[in-house]
Amino acid sequence: MNSFRESMQQVLQETAGSIYPLLTDLASQAANTYTLVARWLFPLLSLVILVRCLVPLIRERSTDTVWGYLVLANGTSIPVRNWENLIGRGKYADIVVNFPVISRSHAVLTFRNGSWTIADLGSKGGITVNDVKVDKAQEIQFGDVISLAGIDMALVPPVQNEALVPTGAAGNSGDTDEEKDFTLNSTVTLMLLFLFQVLAVVQLFASRASMTLAALPVFGIFFLTELFHYFIMRKLQSKSIELEILVYFLCGLNLALVASAAPSDLKKQLAAILIGIAAYTVITWLCLDLGRARRLKYLALVGGVLLLILNLAFGERIYGARNWINLGFITFQPLEFVKIAFVLAGTATLDRLLTTRNMTAFIAFTGACIITLALIRDFGTAVVFFGAFLVIAFMYSGDLRTLFLVTAGAAFAGIAVVTFMPYIAMRFAAWGKVWQYADSSGFQQTRTMIAAASGGLFGVGSGNGYLKNIAAADTDLVFGILCEEWGMLVALCVVLVIVFFVFYAVLLTKNSRSAFYAIAACGAATIFLLQTALNVLGSVDVLPLTGVTIPFISNGGSSMVASWGLLAMIRSAV
Amino acid sequence: MKLLAIRTLVLIVLALLFLAGFTVFVGRYLHSAAAWAQHPSNRHFYQNGRLKETGTIYDRRGEILLETKDGVLTYHPEENIRTAIMHVTGDQDGNVASGMLKVMWEHLTGWNLLTGAYRYQDSLSATNDLTLTLDARLSALAYRELNGRKGAVGIYNYRTGEIICMTSSPSFDPQNPPDIQADPERYKGVYLNRLLSAAYTPGSIFKVVTAAAALETIPGIEERYYHCSGKILIGADTVTCLVPHGDVMLKDALAHSCNVAFAEIAGELGADVLQHYAELAGFNSRLTVNGIKTAAGRVDVKQAAPVELAWAGIGQYTNTANPLAFMVFMGSIANDGLSVSPAIIARENIFPALAKAEKRMLPEETAKKLKRMLRNNTLTVYGEHRFSGLELCAKSGTAEVGEGKEPHAWFAGFLDREDFPYAFVVVIENGCTGSRTAAAVAASVLHAAVDRYQ
Repeated sequence: MNSFRESMQQVLQETAGSIYPLLTDLASQAANTYTLVARWLFPLLSLVILVRCLVPLIRERSTDTVWGYLVLANGTSIPVRNWENLIGRGKYADIVVNFPVISRSHAVLTFRNGSWTIADLGSKGGITVNDVKVDKAQEIQFGDVISLAGIDMALVPPVQNEALVPTGAAGNSGDTDEEKDFTLNSTVTLMLLFLFQVLAVVQLFASRASMTLAALPVFGIFFLTELFHYFIMRKLQSKSIELEILVYFLCGLNLALVASAAPSDLKKQLAAILIGIAAYTVITWLCLDLGRARRLKYLALVGGVLLLILNLAFGERIYGARNWINLGFITFQPLEFVKIAFVLAGTATLDRLLTTRNMTAFIAFTGACIITLALIRDFGTAVVFFGAFLVIAFMYSGDLRTLFLVTAGAAFAGIAVVTFMPYIAMRFAAWGKVWQYADSSGFQQTRTMIAAASGGLFGVGSGNGYLKNIAAADTDLVFGILCEEWGMLVALCVVLVIVFFVFYAVLLTKNSRSAFYAIAACGAATIFLLQTALNVLGSVDVLPLTGVTIPFISNGGSSMVASWGLLAMIRSAV
Repeated sequence: MKLLAIRTLVLIVLALLFLAGFTVFVGRYLHSAAAWAQHPSNRHFYQNGRLKETGTIYDRRGEILLETKDGVLTYHPEENIRTAIMHVTGDQDGNVASGMLKVMWEHLTGWNLLTGAYRYQDSLSATNDLTLTLDARLSALAYRELNGRKGAVGIYNYRTGEIICMTSSPSFDPQNPPDIQADPERYKGVYLNRLLSAAYTPGSIFKVVTAAAALETIPGIEERYYHCSGKILIGADTVTCLVPHGDVMLKDALAHSCNVAFAEIAGELGADVLQHYAELAGFNSRLTVNGIKTAAGRVDVKQAAPVELAWAGIGQYTNTANPLAFMVFMGSIANDGLSVSPAIIARENIFPALAKAEKRMLPEETAKKLKRMLRNNTLTVYGEHRFSGLELCAKSGTAEVGEGKEPHAWFAGFLDREDFPYAFVVVIENGCTGSRTAAAVAASVLHAAVDRYQ
């Protein structure tokens, strides 16, 4: 019996021995064939998803809400499209009343907490409401006779809406046909995105990367989250959902990059996305009410300063900059969250912009941020903050000359930093000639370019790259991994999404309810743009290399959560 | 809001700046991606700085010159062959800039701008292989004939442009590279393919160019006699011959390489005419051999004094010649004045396959006259017995390269045979008399070439 069992075992082993290589051979053949096909589909799907998201977002801007009409004595009826309207004779006035007696910027008509207010901007002719002179500002009712320098007019409610109750959630344009059209589109777009992401997961398993089955639940939860979030958003609001779909697209790439470059970070990164979505939801909700949002601004300022102090006191150094806080069970970068506070700090409403141009708090906070960043030697982020400061300050004041002086001063300081800090100077020394220092100070940039050249237009397939083996490649050189594994076309799509955020914020500004939202959206978009520009152009030697992340793309929990928080600023302006 | 909307222009400007920067990157990418991908740290292609996998390189007879076996670059099994054509295949460390491993890197590794380093099943296909026009064994023979002397040998088909023999010395065994630094004198310029990338003082072979100019521009030149008393005074300087040649016609002057006659002819031609015909013959311009740019030979007599012009006319002064380019000039004489651009890669390997490019260097009549004169050289001076059956037309050169140094030896020409339309060049650095040393190498290699393809 023994000998029979032994011989059976032997036969089985031999059979298995000959089948196993056959099976693995077959599997690798299948995996290779999969990559061959899939690598063409990714750029194609990316482009389709991109177009299907951008078109409705751009189109939606053409339908905007009318909150009421300003009717003049001669019968002219002027629509009131914002919560804040500049009335005057000048070309920048939202409501142009073209009489010589009216000042260029005469008054601001503001909607706040359910009622309208008119405020004088120090006009020559003054304002009266029902023949009572308005000193500074005066709440008005529909039908009150408002007189600007003797020109009579009255605010009447909008024609279509029976009662105007802008609680914030409502943003109905009333054009239902078009909305149905969008609904259909966005669900199909989401399905295409799912196809893209499922194909990506399969590609990861077909690649050289050592993917384990443990990664599957992570992607499963991510898919469910996307679906859940999508349908909740659809239920709760009537706005285009494509902004979120674009961000899902970026987050999907982020998870694929992390799965390839740092599989052990995958769960953490998923958690960051979930926390990010939660933060996004909370901030969007907080911002619905302008009064609440403005109070939030002061809270954010305090919180931001606390985070700065926390960083200076307890910061740890990982890769160059001392910008990590270790709480034992979790490490995070507080400065990522300061970005949200920073944007909020820079916001203001239109009447404030036109009457009291008081930026002291904002300038002080910016200064505190940049000094902190200089102390912890995170110069890339300092540039991001400074750039965002310039944009917000310009939108705030329109004062080019002062900002030019500030920039000149900062450039001076920058030169001083480069001159006296050898660590920064070395990066500048390699800038523009990294191939001469390919194995020293130009190491990261040359490896990024080599990776980009190896990826071609379609990439070598997610998981098949080599750049990821370099330290911190999944954050600082993430553009190179994207080019290598996904190809130049997908990388270009990512760049275009970020650039689109900027154009979208610009589009939103024109029809924004309040200057507060417009400035916040533009500030957030500027941070996205500057980070992407520094990361992408820095890693390929067009700019000096600085260690900043690409929003939603780089590996990193704090960056992911903060990016969602900033996205909420853009969403709130819709 | 209009006010803010106007101010958002600053965001548009920032976005455009970023896109401009990105465009700069895309521009650089399109221009340099091939060079980036070739960096030895690129693990898609390299392991420890050496290529992991390439297509196979064959010679015209199907011999494998280079292949990768299990991730190791493997050259021809015979050391003398892989050494002789090391400059053609290229060395493992990428030092030979004109080697196929460098020049045809994209073809051999399968990289391209569209698909990058991606390869289906991580492996190459037959489309990445490369067949050369070269005969490796013939090249090995030529290398052996150089016998350790520095120099180069080239043979090409002046009707099709195919280079069938190419070797450059010194060389080394690329499979087992020696320590180059240990013997700087022996390995001086070892990474240079001297046939393609060097330019030497031409000496008397340049007289063919001067003769071409004379035939074109001086009426009745073929009937004229020049008197050689062994030296001629030009200004305060003299140009000399080793022996007085007496009264010589142009063809005798060429055959006996009479400096005095050619010094006079150069003076008659004048600087502008000589310059013009030198440039027609390919001087002052580079040739392209399957994307490899050759070194340019130089002739610049615009500012030359009369005696300098005389020296230039006999191939000295500041003149230099690139061996391959001079071989092509010789080929054009054989081919009735039409030069065919040389190629090292078999035409079917190249996509898109370009038609052979022809260029007229000389009028047909002048080419025929020169051919008769070059044939006369062999018959009257070099000795038909040394080149029996080859129908050899040639010119030798012994180029002075300075006090205390042996002159460079040149021998260049072609076979006037329909079945073997070969033009050739042999140059040996400090090889003494061209008609002896270089001609001996040429005789041996040309006989072998004809024997191999009889």
